[in-house]
Amino acid sequence: MNRRLTGPGAWTLYFITAMLMVFILAPLAVVVAMSVSDSYFVSFPPQGFTLKWYAQILQDRDFLAALKLSCLLALSTTIGSLLLGVPAAIALTRSSFPGQTLLKGLVLSPLIFPALVTGLALMQLLSAMGSGDARINLLIGHVVVTSPYVIRAVVTSLLLVDFNLEDAARTLGANRLKTFWRITLPQIAPGVAAGALFAFMVSFDNYPVTMWLANSEYSPVPLVLMRQLVNVFDPSVPAMSTVIIILAVVGVLILERLVGLRRAAAV
Amino acid sequence: MSSDTQVLEPASSRPKEGVALRLTLPAFLLAVPILIFLAIFFFYPAINLLFFSLLTQDAKGIVGPPLTAAHYTRFFEVDLYLRVFWNTLRISLVTSAFAIVLGYPVAIVMAKSGPIVSRIIALIVIAPLIVSVVVRSYGWQLILANTPAGLLNWVLMSLGITSEPLAILYSETAVVIGSLHVFFPMMVLPLASALGKIDPNLEDCARTLGAPWWKVFLRVTLPLSVPGLVAGFTLVFSLTAGSFVTPVILGGTTATMLGNLIEQQIFVVYNWPFGAAIAVVLVLVVFAINTLSMRLLEGRRFRTMS
Repeated sequence: MNRRLTGPGAWTLYFITAMLMVFILAPLAVVVAMSVSDSYFVSFPPQGFTLKWYAQILQDRDFLAALKLSCLLALSTTIGSLLLGVPAAIALTRSSFPGQTLLKGLVLSPLIFPALVTGLALMQLLSAMGSGDARINLLIGHVVVTSPYVIRAVVTSLLLVDFNLEDAARTLGANRLKTFWRITLPQIAPGVAAGALFAFMVSFDNYPVTMWLANSEYSPVPLVLMRQLVNVFDPSVPAMSTVIIILAVVGVLILERLVGLRRAAAV
Repeated sequence: MSSDTQVLEPASSRPKEGVALRLTLPAFLLAVPILIFLAIFFFYPAINLLFFSLLTQDAKGIVGPPLTAAHYTRFFEVDLYLRVFWNTLRISLVTSAFAIVLGYPVAIVMAKSGPIVSRIIALIVIAPLIVSVVVRSYGWQLILANTPAGLLNWVLMSLGITSEPLAILYSETAVVIGSLHVFFPMMVLPLASALGKIDPNLEDCARTLGAPWWKVFLRVTLPLSVPGLVAGFTLVFSLTAGSFVTPVILGGTTATMLGNLIEQQIFVVYNWPFGAAIAVVLVLVVFAINTLSMRLLEGRRFRTMS
């Protein structure tokens, strides 16, 4: 391995890379450090050590309600995007028909469309339709933006599945559904799980679509955090942020276990 | 079923196509639910928004028929809006330029080190992608704060490098730093996968023939990694151009972007058609960049083929 990266250039590369790793981790580390600061304002350097801000946010009704809403929303979004995305991924890989490339472009197009505009356009439609329940509106918006991630993850795993096994099952008399259930699904399970987890995380963190569809009664975590950030200056804001960071780290570790991170995030 | 038809039909290429079509029809049907869903909740609203941007809003706030391009002319004639437009393009361009320059070292190390180093780098690069943009921008707010209580100013003043706190927060620089942090993975990942596909022997050859490392990079590595470079540039540019959270937290009132302008028009001014027009402008910017980079890659492919 060292054969490939040696010479004076190599050390420069390693140094720059190390500095960038610091650059990437610094803002997250600062947030975590501030969350245990025993002071009434967020200011560097943090003072002492306390967990009282965590105790405080765990009693904050708005934050807890937002956390519950975000979890339920992300969960139902995941189910919705799996129900729509997995069949679409099969259609894209297990057959060839005219217009397949176009179909792929269409179902993945929410990825390149500015999410902010997706949310705005959807809000306009939903308010014209008179759909007043923010929870349903949020669910629809989140499924639009997360389903491409599921499709991409499942397509990637379907392409790695051995076609011959499916053919063998069909030849031995299994019908399409049984073949999928017994042969294909077990093989693509890690990919489906990765897509599902990615959809969950994207929904949990989504801001640009959520900002249009939420209301004062139903505000998911990112919106509540944004509001706190503008109005509150004590370390309860870093404490809330740290909770979000911890949830993300757990998700990342599961993703890494399931399929390897680079494949999960394949751009 | 298929063998029957094949026996009965004359031996031309036609019946085979017919069989293939019949076998694949159900598979196509699997995509119908998502197509209907996206048609109703994505394509239709998007087209509707375009239509909306051409309508007139009267004094009572009712949006109605006389079709007009006035919102677009207003956008490109009023100084304030035009400045936001150029701000957005400049911030996106500078961010993607920095992402390219800083992305190469990381992608090269990622592509060419052992599995453990490469995995750790991947973990550090990708993990923040899953942390909310609000949290990451907030982290930068704490670092760049304009008072001595900001991390950067505290370090600089403790070391005696400056005596007065720097004022970086609420400027374009702060937005570029924040956006770079948020979208850096979108540059590194495509770059690393493009670099991983380059035959290492080509670089070895160039080196054996006496090329210094920078020449190997400029003449071999860089040209062969262009697909990853273009993909990363397009992603970083498009995502930065459409951002909302980072400019609010780090840009304040000075570094406003198109996203903030849209939000203001809809939620504060209640000028729906004008808000829609700005949204269409944003979409056009993103589409232009995507089309441009696709053209670039296609042109390249033709040249390498001929």
